[in-house]
Amino acid sequence: MSNGQPAPFPGQSDKIVQVENLSKKYGENVAVNGISFSLTKGEVFAFLGPNGAGKTTTVEILECLRNPTGGQAKVLGYDVSKRSDQAEIRKRIGVLPQDFNAIDRLTVRENINYFGAMFKHQLDADKLIELVDLKDKRDEQFKRLSGGLKQRVGLAVSLVNDPDVVFLDEPTTGLDPRARRDVWGVVERLKSQGKTVFLTTHYMDEAEYLADIVSIIDHGQIIASGTPDQLIDTHGGKKTLIIREAGEEGLKQLPLGLPKAELRNAGDIAIPLNNGELTNILMGLGATPLHDKEIEVRRPTLDDVFLNLTGRRVSEEGN
Amino acid sequence: MRSRIYTIISGHFKSWYRSKSNIFWTIAFPLLLIVLFGAIFGNGSTKFDLYLQNQDLNANTPTMYSQGYISVLNNTGAFNLHTVAAGQTVQQALDYVKSDAQLHNRGQRLLVIPSGFNTTLNSGNDATIQLYMDQSDQASASLAGIVRSVTISYAASIAGAPDHLNLQQVGIVTRNIRYIDFFIPGVIGMTLLTTGVFGAVNTNGRYRELKIIKKLATTPLSKIEWILGMVGYQMILATISLVVILFFGYALFGVTATIDIYTVGLVVAAALLFPGIGMVLANFVKEAESADAAANAITFPMMFLAGTFWPRETLPDIMKIIANFMPLTYVNDGLRDALIYAEPAQALTNTIIALGLAAFFIVLGSMLMNWKEE
Ligand SMILES: Nc1ncnc2c1ncn2[C@@H]1O[C@H](COP(=O)(O)OP(=O)(O)OP(=O)(O)O)[C@@H](O)[C@H]1O
Ligand SMILES: [Mg+2]
Repeated sequence: MSNGQPAPFPGQSDKIVQVENLSKKYGENVAVNGISFSLTKGEVFAFLGPNGAGKTTTVEILECLRNPTGGQAKVLGYDVSKRSDQAEIRKRIGVLPQDFNAIDRLTVRENINYFGAMFKHQLDADKLIELVDLKDKRDEQFKRLSGGLKQRVGLAVSLVNDPDVVFLDEPTTGLDPRARRDVWGVVERLKSQGKTVFLTTHYMDEAEYLADIVSIIDHGQIIASGTPDQLIDTHGGKKTLIIREAGEEGLKQLPLGLPKAELRNAGDIAIPLNNGELTNILMGLGATPLHDKEIEVRRPTLDDVFLNLTGRRVSEEGN
Repeated sequence: MRSRIYTIISGHFKSWYRSKSNIFWTIAFPLLLIVLFGAIFGNGSTKFDLYLQNQDLNANTPTMYSQGYISVLNNTGAFNLHTVAAGQTVQQALDYVKSDAQLHNRGQRLLVIPSGFNTTLNSGNDATIQLYMDQSDQASASLAGIVRSVTISYAASIAGAPDHLNLQQVGIVTRNIRYIDFFIPGVIGMTLLTTGVFGAVNTNGRYRELKIIKKLATTPLSKIEWILGMVGYQMILATISLVVILFFGYALFGVTATIDIYTVGLVVAAALLFPGIGMVLANFVKEAESADAAANAITFPMMFLAGTFWPRETLPDIMKIIANFMPLTYVNDGLRDALIYAEPAQALTNTIIALGLAAFFIVLGSMLMNWKEE
């Protein structure tokens, strides 16, 4: 899928990240196995995969924290394997490491300024505090914040040098649903500001909601890439008709001649839908006791995409 | 643009003074020790302390005349007699007296009954008892007077030997150093040790676990700047400890210390040496909590063996040898030489050794530290 010509002038290309056939081995263990992809300016790119898939390894190669054992990676046109280029990359990228914590006894504001001082120019701390919606916590020590607020401090810190691209490694793992939404809100704001965002996650809904482009990585290899819609259309399988809480009994009441129905957890009946069949099935149901049940049509999700591609569910391994 | 190193120093410093337990361990705990040890060992006695070495033994029991002489000394009620093992040479005995007296806050005075004392008196020849003491010792005149009269009266009691028992007074130079004078530099050394080792374990172990180091490594900050920031912070902390402890030592116990170039050198050495050791630990023991345990395992024995609480001379021989390998030994000794004993030559030697060890450990720690890839 890569069409990337190397940028003639570093920093001048529209390709913010270009990765060609990248590999990383830890001894015998191949963590990243010949992957290629690229990121265009202004894009939110999600790297989606289960635990141990190689997400962090890839991101940290792009952040110049680890050395690749094969292939090529360029960030903003600079080569991550060249020492002199690494210095340029470090000035221009924003990073939120997986499981990052800021300094416990510094306040929100002090933390932002602390990490900001590592760069030649930093954004105004108060503006960042506003962006991540932490105004009334600005003078609170980091250790007194809840998990969700801590993560927002991490986001502010990752933006402090007004980076050209932001790497967020599992920014919502371990957060409650409300806090996840807040983080999503910040990413959306970044996107509306035209920032390029590289995000890793093992949450399907997160990738579906936030990303322009999703690459699914498993065992160090990219198994599918595209917009969420493309992935779902190509690999998601059929839509499903759900009859809510109909139970065993409902199964017997189904009209004959339907595709094979199955019973799911809360007694829901699921019937795979072929295109154009919906009206026929609904009419058939109208004549049975099932007509007053709640009925919905469910579109496949990225979950189904992953299931179809690997035979596993991400959530079985994720935490 | 603020400097990166300054930012790191001020970050560490804020984290330090905002933690009550940090303040306790770096300031309150040493002061508590000073007050406690000062109170326990500071009690002077109204009797004269006198070390006594009876070399005139027969099958490990004192001979008749030597025993008799000691009884008379005892009966005066003027002395607290402290026995020194008979086997030692006079010089060894004096060394022992020097450190033991210091530990117990006593005057350094040694009375030696020579071997052959009994036989000599029996055969009608002259026997001489030696009293080693410093003329400047405030108790000198009265103490010598009492010993002299004991000697004369004892001689008179021995039939026919009144002229044969002499007392020879030998002047020795002692500095009247109390236990607390000895202890204060030790407490400083101990504080530099613990703040340095634990500080480095914390900032390099825990900050790694919290991914703070990883985050910093993605910025233009270099590993050297990070380490310099940590060392700079340690120097500030070491200076604060030194000043606070010396101030309280003076205010509570009148300990007067001289701060000279060696003191400065030793503080610099300590601020490199102990964080260096901490960094080495943090890199061998990756998990922050185990690194903390390892730091405890290293600092505690070092504290006890390196002459923090009592002079190393009072340790068993094997421990003395081990103490020679402990970096804190040279910091403690150097601080004592510089602050209290005013022995520039020895202070210089210890400062040089401490600086050498400091260079070794900080370079080793820096080389071992992974800034990027783990
Ligand atoms: N420093 C390392 N040394 C050896 N093996 C490593 C190292 N880091 C990662 N690995 C291995 O490489 C593989 C990929 O790990 P990586 O951390 O990149 O996965 P991930 O997708 O980020 O997983 P997670 O969702 O758990 O964060 C795993 O098998 C992991 O055990
Ligand atoms: Mg990861």
